[in-house]
Amino acid sequence: MTKNIQASRSQNCNGCELCVLETQRQAGKIGLEEALIRILKDFRMNSNKPTFSVDIDPRIESQNVEKIKNICPKDVFDIS
Amino acid sequence: MLNTKVQKVLEIDLQQKTSNTKSYDNLNKYIGGTGLGLKLMEIYKDANPIIFGVGPLNGFFPFASKTSIVVNSRNRVEDIYIGGSLSLRIRFAGINAIVICGKSPTAKIINIFNEDVKLEKSPTETKELGLPGKRSVLEFNELNLVADRYFESPEEILEKSFIEKNVAGLVITGTKNFTLKNMAEYQKLYEYILNKSGILNTVASNKPACSNCPLGCEQSKTGEIGGNILLHSLVACGYAENIYSDIGTLFSCLNILGYDYTHEDLQNLPNLVEKTLQNLNRTGN
Repeated sequence: MTKNIQASRSQNCNGCELCVLETQRQAGKIGLEEALIRILKDFRMNSNKPTFSVDIDPRIESQNVEKIKNICPKDVFDIS
Repeated sequence: MLNTKVQKVLEIDLQQKTSNTKSYDNLNKYIGGTGLGLKLMEIYKDANPIIFGVGPLNGFFPFASKTSIVVNSRNRVEDIYIGGSLSLRIRFAGINAIVICGKSPTAKIINIFNEDVKLEKSPTETKELGLPGKRSVLEFNELNLVADRYFESPEEILEKSFIEKNVAGLVITGTKNFTLKNMAEYQKLYEYILNKSGILNTVASNKPACSNCPLGCEQSKTGEIGGNILLHSLVACGYAENIYSDIGTLFSCLNILGYDYTHEDLQNLPNLVEKTLQNLNRTGN
């Protein structure tokens, strides 16, 4: 049965991109192009540090989502 | 595939408004980062360049997350290091170093997309440049140059160089993917190194993290200046010295990527750097 991964706590994301690189390695590549997760920085001015949002492509269901969840150091993801 | 036989250098001439990518097949002994940057400073010294460089591990292994910058500041060659996502974007643009030469007649933002360069008028909203999720932005926040709106450059050295050259910022987008012959072994080695975060000379915090580093340590905001030449040629974070000074780990990383460096190559690096610095000093930078 396929599993879904959601960024339930994206406010915790520290922008390390380990999840992005993990999805890419699972697809046999190293880089950012066509990654199934994108980490977007919020470029609001007058903030003393950036915040991040997490974009997930639904095709990620075909990957080992447990590994993606577990590589996150900030416990951003939930699996259902 | 990763080309481990050449150092690909993106030259940007602000005066002529031109750019060009050169592949050097005789600079591999300088490894990358600071070693390569100092040699490029010698080659391009008449153009008073700013040189951004990555090392062979950047983009591929955890904690190799910083970008080396070599500049001539007040007749002294300085090597500084900044964090954030910049090193991965340079790696995934498919280049090893960026050499910025000359002075722009008017203030410009350098907008790099892989090997293509545009000089954008300043001010331009940097969020309009490059691709979201694949770009890094280095821009002024009042008097300080800041990468990704958080990571600072130390001691205002880079700020002075940018102002001298009439450069208001730099945006780089990298969209290239790499494959390795043995992805399964690479994955194992990646996880082995990632699990070594406990031996770093820093600890995790709730700050923004550099790309490919889970920690987001208290020190990530501040750049580095000077230090271990091999580490900074790789270009690993200074706080990861305990990992990448282990010669077995280092050779495992280099070999899986396809580099054929020997122990002698790594041992010779400090001598090569010393000789390059002597040449630079002899010629008055």
